[in-house]
Amino acid sequence: MKKINVTGEGVKTLWHKATSNYSHWISFIFLLLIAVIVNPSFLSYKNMTNLFVQGSIVGICAMGMSLIISAGMIDLSTGSAVAIISGLSVSILNSTQSIMISLLFCLTFGVILGLVNGLLITKGNIAPFIVTLATMSAYRSIINQIGQGGPFTVDKSMYDAYRMITAGKVFGVPNLMIFFIIITLITGFIMTKTKFGRYVYSTGSNEHASRLTGINVDKVKIAIYAYAGLLYGLAAFLLASRLTSIQAASAGDSYELDAIAAVAIGGTSMSGGKGKIMGTFLGILMLRIINTVLVMANVPPFLNGFVRGVTIIIAVLAQSRKRSNRMEASS
Amino acid sequence: MLLEMKNIVKDFGAVKALSDVDLIVGAGEIHGLLGENGAGKTTLMNVLSGTFPPTSGKIIIDGHDVLGMTPKKSKDMKIRFIHQELNLCNDLMVYENMFLGEELLKRGIIDKKEEIRQAADVLTRMNVSIDAKAIVGNLETAQKQIVEIAKALLFKSELIIMDEPTTSLNNREIDNLFAIMKELKDQGVSFIYISHKMPELFTICDKYTVLRDGVFIETGFFKNIDENRATELLIGHTFAHSNLKVDNAGFIQPEIFMEVNRLSGYTFNNVSFKLRKGEILAFTGLQGAGTSELASALFGATAITSGEIKIKGETLKAQHIKAVMKHGVGMVPRNRKERGILPHLSIRDNHSIAYFTIKHKKLLIDKNEEKNRFAVNLGKMNIRIGSDTDAITALSGGNQQKVIIGRWLATEAEILIMENPTQGIDVGAKYEIYKLIIELSKQGKSILVFSTEFPEIHHIADQCFVMYKGEINGDLSREQMTEANVMLLSTGAKLGGLDEKN
Repeated sequence: MKKINVTGEGVKTLWHKATSNYSHWISFIFLLLIAVIVNPSFLSYKNMTNLFVQGSIVGICAMGMSLIISAGMIDLSTGSAVAIISGLSVSILNSTQSIMISLLFCLTFGVILGLVNGLLITKGNIAPFIVTLATMSAYRSIINQIGQGGPFTVDKSMYDAYRMITAGKVFGVPNLMIFFIIITLITGFIMTKTKFGRYVYSTGSNEHASRLTGINVDKVKIAIYAYAGLLYGLAAFLLASRLTSIQAASAGDSYELDAIAAVAIGGTSMSGGKGKIMGTFLGILMLRIINTVLVMANVPPFLNGFVRGVTIIIAVLAQSRKRSNRMEASS
Repeated sequence: MLLEMKNIVKDFGAVKALSDVDLIVGAGEIHGLLGENGAGKTTLMNVLSGTFPPTSGKIIIDGHDVLGMTPKKSKDMKIRFIHQELNLCNDLMVYENMFLGEELLKRGIIDKKEEIRQAADVLTRMNVSIDAKAIVGNLETAQKQIVEIAKALLFKSELIIMDEPTTSLNNREIDNLFAIMKELKDQGVSFIYISHKMPELFTICDKYTVLRDGVFIETGFFKNIDENRATELLIGHTFAHSNLKVDNAGFIQPEIFMEVNRLSGYTFNNVSFKLRKGEILAFTGLQGAGTSELASALFGATAITSGEIKIKGETLKAQHIKAVMKHGVGMVPRNRKERGILPHLSIRDNHSIAYFTIKHKKLLIDKNEEKNRFAVNLGKMNIRIGSDTDAITALSGGNQQKVIIGRWLATEAEILIMENPTQGIDVGAKYEIYKLIIELSKQGKSILVFSTEFPEIHHIADQCFVMYKGEINGDLSREQMTEANVMLLSTGAKLGGLDEKN
């Protein structure tokens, strides 16, 4: 059976490779086909760039979420973090009249918020779910208190310059789309080309074994949340530029859910160890495609959430089937 | 119960896992099922316990054909399967685990008192000090294994299948287990006993059946064969070895690589030894003797309370893993699945990971460098793989372990701490690991082996320290290295005429 087992395993790994390496491409193309069937003009340049524009900000957050989930953790504070950062950044922008300072603030504050999550999880030894559930609630509450639930609005004097950061285009390509693609490339690069990327996967795969190879697992986790925080900061900056008015109560609402959904649809295992940045990228686009198709097909808006929910379940079901296949193969 | 399994064939797709296998187990018989990993033992037992149906073949119990065996049916027929992996819920108490799925009910609600009483009863009979109300997660692995066994003894069984029940038990616990098995056997209970440990098989089993590559090889009485013959049956050819070490002694060089003085820590005390270049030192002891904790402490994974560790004359200051690694120490941890491998990562990544933590200084990873590093070790260690981007879990246990040893060769570690290096590895592959360890010592690596398997120690060690209650109770040179001496020292006795050297 030994020999036989190898071939059996071989077939299974092949199947596993095909499904796990390209599953996100397969579902992406599948969805795109549906979209084209519903509306043949779906593939128009304007519509395609629109997908990016709408998905970019939450997409940048999802890149951070990818790392977090690949390491076997979770972050529920994404939306609240984006809200508090962008709200305060507008105040800072208005008082300093400097976009640069506002950007620096966003990035720094984002990292700080990430560090808070990371430190509580590692040094406080509290489950990521609980820590980020708490910070989610806390951040939202603080920004609501500061803004008294109302908006943070960019001053007239800064309005045009600030808005152009996201509304502008380079050779017809929307800036937002460029931001998203660059962040995706950088994150993908970190995850595949640096040892930090390996540490993220190894921590998610087997924390104990990782520790025994000299990896400072706590440091890795803190760095992951800090990186995610940095991206939330950037997302917050872009959100403020796009909306020019941040509603404390609703800004960034349910970003964490979209980000987690994108990561899951993209084929990253929720238990950690495996993950694909490209998958998350496509995951974000798929969420946008679903939304657009629903609008085009005149599905009542209240049912949008239902369809999205079903899509996520299907994506994750496909994953768990793969996992159980693998477990059978290794037993 | 008289069990006859006849002409069992099991195909997984095009894959033939079992071809025409027979197994006959009589009432009150302990039947050893032998075979290397992947020989089909577990598949055969899964067929018997109804996990999946055979492709063809018959299961006959007490003369009656059993058709469509299911797990439920096999339970009803009083067949119990103690799995190799621990199937326990860590958050539940011992007794809750033992009754899981078969709770005792009194007027529709769980009869907690009675469950606790019965569970405690079995545990006392097994002569182990496990509280029925302890949380399973707080137990040692060995204790968990005992709970798993106790679970099967709880209910009246006629046939108990044990798949490597003793992997993490110490000798006393094994003796207790055997005593219970004999008692049950006298009551007519049959056992199918799967193990890699020859001495155990010869002690407890009456008959044997050997499988190799899914094919039935031979059945007979243990009293008619010896260990060499059994090993021969298992692997299909005679291992021309009396002892690996005998032909490979004398590579010790005078330079002292590691010196440990009066080291104390959690559960071990006052441990001193010197490790020279090219030397293989073994540490052994019963469960709880402190060997495991000593191994972790030497690697910086757990704290020491006093004493010092010198590596190449330099005293270790920082007591954390990375610092110890930088001094050229590597560790092959026990329990490969839980502590060794990164199951989601590729073979190559599993191999590179330690290199990254201490040797890799560049910003980026160079795939080709990584590939070459692995290719070098691949040749050195005779690892059989398809592609180095395959998942590590696609490899056999022996090959996985070689990758993990390679992990440290990649860091150019000169001192290797190995804890149970051949745990869960089949016989043939074990010898390869032994050879590899000896080969490494020839190349000037120093090795500390923490092991509970005497044959392993005897095959490779230059000297063996035996620990008892956290202290080194004695050390044995090659000439003194016998199983009896190890036993004596590990149970707290001293050897006659042997002076303490520490």
